[in-house]
Amino acid sequence: MGALLVLIAIVGPSVAPYDPAAAVAPQLAEPMPPAAPFYLGTDDLGRDVLSRLLCGARISLLVGAVAMVVTMVIGTAIGIAAGYFGGVVDVVLMRATDVMLAFPGLLLAVALVAVLRPSVWTIFVVIGLVSWTGVARVIRSEVLSLRERDFVLAARALGARDRRTLWRHVLPNVVPTIVVIAALSTSGTILLDAGLSFLGIGVPPPTPTWGRMIQEATSYYRAAPWLMLFPGAALLYAVLTFNFIAYGLLGGTRAPGA
Amino acid sequence: MRSLRLAAALAAAVALAGCTRDTLDWPKRAPGERRGGVLRLSAPDDVPTLDPALGYDTRSWFFEEHLFETLVAYDDQAALVPGLAERWEVAPDGRRYRFALRNGLVFSDGTPLTAADAVGSIERVLDPKTRSQGAEYFRDVVGATAYVEGGAPHVAGLRAPDARTVEIELQSPDPLFLHKLALMFAAVVPVERARALGDDFTTQPLGSGPFVLREWRRGERIVLARNPRYRIADRPYLDGVVQQVGVNPELSWLMFESGELDVSGIPPADFPSVMRDPARAALTVHATALDTMFVGLNCEMPPLDDRRVRQAINYAVDKAGVIALLNGRGVEAHGIVPPNMPGYHVDLAGYPHDTEKARALLAAAGHADGFTTEIWTQGTDTDLKIAQKIQQDLAKLGVGLEIKSVAWSSFLEAIRQPKTVPVFDLGWSADFPDPSNFLDVLFHSGGANNHSFYANAELDRLLERARTMRDERARFVVDAEAERIIVDDAPILFLYHPITYVMHDRRVHDYTIHPLLPSRLTDVWLEPE
Amino acid sequence: MRYLIGRLLWSLVILLGTTWITFAIVFLVPGDPARVVAGPRADAATIASIRRELALDLPMRVQYARYLERVLHGDLGRSYATRQPVTEILVRRLPATALLASAGLLVAIVIGLAGGLVTAPLAGTWVDRTALVASLVVLSAPVFWLGLLALYYFGYRWRLLPLGGAGDVRHLILPALVLGIGSGVYYARLLHTNLVAVLGEDYIRAARARGNSRLRTVAVHALRNASLPLLTVVGLDFASLLNGVVLTETVFHWPGLGRLAFDAVLNLDVPVIMGTVLLSAILVVATNLVVDVLYRVVDPRIRLG
Repeated sequence: MGALLVLIAIVGPSVAPYDPAAAVAPQLAEPMPPAAPFYLGTDDLGRDVLSRLLCGARISLLVGAVAMVVTMVIGTAIGIAAGYFGGVVDVVLMRATDVMLAFPGLLLAVALVAVLRPSVWTIFVVIGLVSWTGVARVIRSEVLSLRERDFVLAARALGARDRRTLWRHVLPNVVPTIVVIAALSTSGTILLDAGLSFLGIGVPPPTPTWGRMIQEATSYYRAAPWLMLFPGAALLYAVLTFNFIAYGLLGGTRAPGA
Repeated sequence: MRSLRLAAALAAAVALAGCTRDTLDWPKRAPGERRGGVLRLSAPDDVPTLDPALGYDTRSWFFEEHLFETLVAYDDQAALVPGLAERWEVAPDGRRYRFALRNGLVFSDGTPLTAADAVGSIERVLDPKTRSQGAEYFRDVVGATAYVEGGAPHVAGLRAPDARTVEIELQSPDPLFLHKLALMFAAVVPVERARALGDDFTTQPLGSGPFVLREWRRGERIVLARNPRYRIADRPYLDGVVQQVGVNPELSWLMFESGELDVSGIPPADFPSVMRDPARAALTVHATALDTMFVGLNCEMPPLDDRRVRQAINYAVDKAGVIALLNGRGVEAHGIVPPNMPGYHVDLAGYPHDTEKARALLAAAGHADGFTTEIWTQGTDTDLKIAQKIQQDLAKLGVGLEIKSVAWSSFLEAIRQPKTVPVFDLGWSADFPDPSNFLDVLFHSGGANNHSFYANAELDRLLERARTMRDERARFVVDAEAERIIVDDAPILFLYHPITYVMHDRRVHDYTIHPLLPSRLTDVWLEPE
Repeated sequence: MRYLIGRLLWSLVILLGTTWITFAIVFLVPGDPARVVAGPRADAATIASIRRELALDLPMRVQYARYLERVLHGDLGRSYATRQPVTEILVRRLPATALLASAGLLVAIVIGLAGGLVTAPLAGTWVDRTALVASLVVLSAPVFWLGLLALYYFGYRWRLLPLGGAGDVRHLILPALVLGIGSGVYYARLLHTNLVAVLGEDYIRAARARGNSRLRTVAVHALRNASLPLLTVVGLDFASLLNGVVLTETVFHWPGLGRLAFDAVLNLDVPVIMGTVLLSAILVVATNLVVDVLYRVVDPRIRLG
């Protein structure tokens, strides 16, 4: 499942039958239903849906992945700092997290995009900025329990410096947790990016992100349902893949996120 | 107080969950009469305001036009005709106006409408506390500055010598002043009431128009009822108008098809099938709006500072294709002044679609291999569609166009900054039917909305000369010359003039679309069921 | 009691933090509220006088301080766009959103309880595995896409329910389902996991041994203990429910707070932005507080000390 996804992201644009931004259908403003040679139909601008879907894979997954990395870096750093140092650091960081959690994240993202002007880079950063809180909380509690474990206590008792303890003893032990959260977080960032695109403020067109394709299809959802059906199914597939990965990593015992 | 509010909120929640169908009583219809009936309309959003000094968006405007009146008005062809004033004189110096109000004018609550109200209404627009964007239209009245900057209790140039006479004195002659008085900003309101209500006049409006506000349930519906004291005896025919709010274009169409609405716009997805069916097409009405949609090209930013590049862009974009994207609901723009506008320049050729010519011009400018630039849009569906179409067309010349969609507030701010926005998607609607409303505002080097940063000294001279000419026909000749220069310099990409289409029920008669104003319902009548 | 006072104080800090951050972000947006008030045509003089009227030329600190002072007096200001008091706008829009959110939450809890109770005793069977895959699929679908699909099938193709807008109960069904289903299957999995763990414990076996029926055991004994963690999650989930509300309201043209806030951000209608953020922050903070207290009530091991 995952392999297919990655394969499409890599070769998608080169196997796309048409230029995803070019008008290839004979008419404008009347989308064509799926039929050869346009196997998934065409949109109102006369573009081939299949080509757009294939090219959209790369950008949609790229945004998901990079935003996930941003999320993980911020969340892990804050979580480890809060959990390891405890005391005032912990209180301040966790209250800051509470403040972030009190925001409707989507609206915060909309406002941040307005401040930073829309571009792919803005989307990476903004998604990271609004979705790190959950990560920070989980990592913190993980570190909290690690801190009391013998090998960490021993290292600290032997006078190891904080930085060394963190790198050598704490971080390697939270890696398994990080990997699981990363998979989950990717499905989260893909959905958030799609939501932003749907509200018209994601990666700018004509880059065919799947979320944007659904947004463009909304005014045609009755006359041309295929325009929203296929990109939605693609999103579902991608997010599902990451959820399955996370589930597998958890050993199939817990629901993702639980 | 707080718990009361919560209780109110809960009660409203229950009401929302329950049934909120029409519970208004309307008079029974006498058989065989034109009079009577309620027109059912819809709109996607609630009305921002019903105060004519404030609302300048199309939603507010529609209602303001039915609740209020101005001294001078427009007929169906957008020519000036008497409104509340039955006649007027302009002094030979072109600075002093004298209006005689009709006899026996009253507001809808029965209080007399006097010259003092007319004068006070304009003063209210000028008052900084009102925060009206219409203030600028009346800043040239004698004494306006003294009043606005503080000090003067009244505007010296606005006078009401008796209850039926209004005198206005301007600092310099303005051939367009009557048009400014026809704007809703100059609508006559009961001044004392409006002053007393302040910001709340917006929800409790009172005027002398054909209808009165009967009910405004925020986010649900707005109901107008016939003004029984309207100055034209047998108008309006309708007993009332109900506009349901929060109905998107899709939903509006489906409600119209199932008979829940009498009038509706036609969504793009359904338009082709409606027009292919003659019976349904016959129930549509349309009119070319006095609007021009264009794409601004910043004349200070290379390579757009080269006229040939701007011309090349004009040749490269397939306007017919853009209009096809809108289901053909548009007319190709050859210049900036829309057809139907007095002073429209019929023989202007514009830029026909010609990719070869575009390529040659680009090569001559030293950009045979193209270049990259970015277009800023506000990101509405149509904006993005058109931006992508332009992108497709320019790609054929090797010109890369990046699309930046930004929020309205940021957009407005950015296009005003020099050398910031190279290309932007904008439209301009006429405030009043005169070419100057396009030419001066958009292209004079000092124009408030010259976002192309276009400057041509010869054009400025022509426009300034035209502004002092009181003979309309002579002025239009100069305006035409100015427009030719603008088209030649191509500070914008001329796109199209939109055509508005609506469809109405079989029972609806005399529903028209006005080129300048919102549809007026004064003459509309409903066949009895 | 001390605990409660501490929590309340922290809640205040959180509210201060959210409003301050919002104010700062809005201040940084490259747009001029006066320009938005005045519209695209207004000249420089009009803009300048509006800026003075709204006190927009003051430094941010001063504007924020003034805003706080007014809020403490119960005045949230007036919308730049419509001139209406923000309190009035919020009170008018809140019912629609509250109705949608609570209906969504109800859907979620019903799905969660039913799903958890049905699948827990069947853990490991094919029913359970199918339910798991189905819930992962639902969790993976974008909420606005589910909304469009629902509109297409239930509203357009089968003509069963209205195609959007607010009105009677029929208008509420699709948005509530779309909003609640994601959280619902999530709760169901969570409850399932907890129930399975609890079912293995001694006192449950004892209850079974005493001759209680399987269903009764699950419903009465296990559920009580398994629902504790669920409570926390429902509380935490509230903020994300508000996210879903923005998208759901957009798809279904539901006249609520989500759309209001979104449009206000785009139009830089600062008083409305501040009002909605404040309101939603209060809701989130209050929910967490209530959940916290409930938690301590349900589980006597943690004392309200």
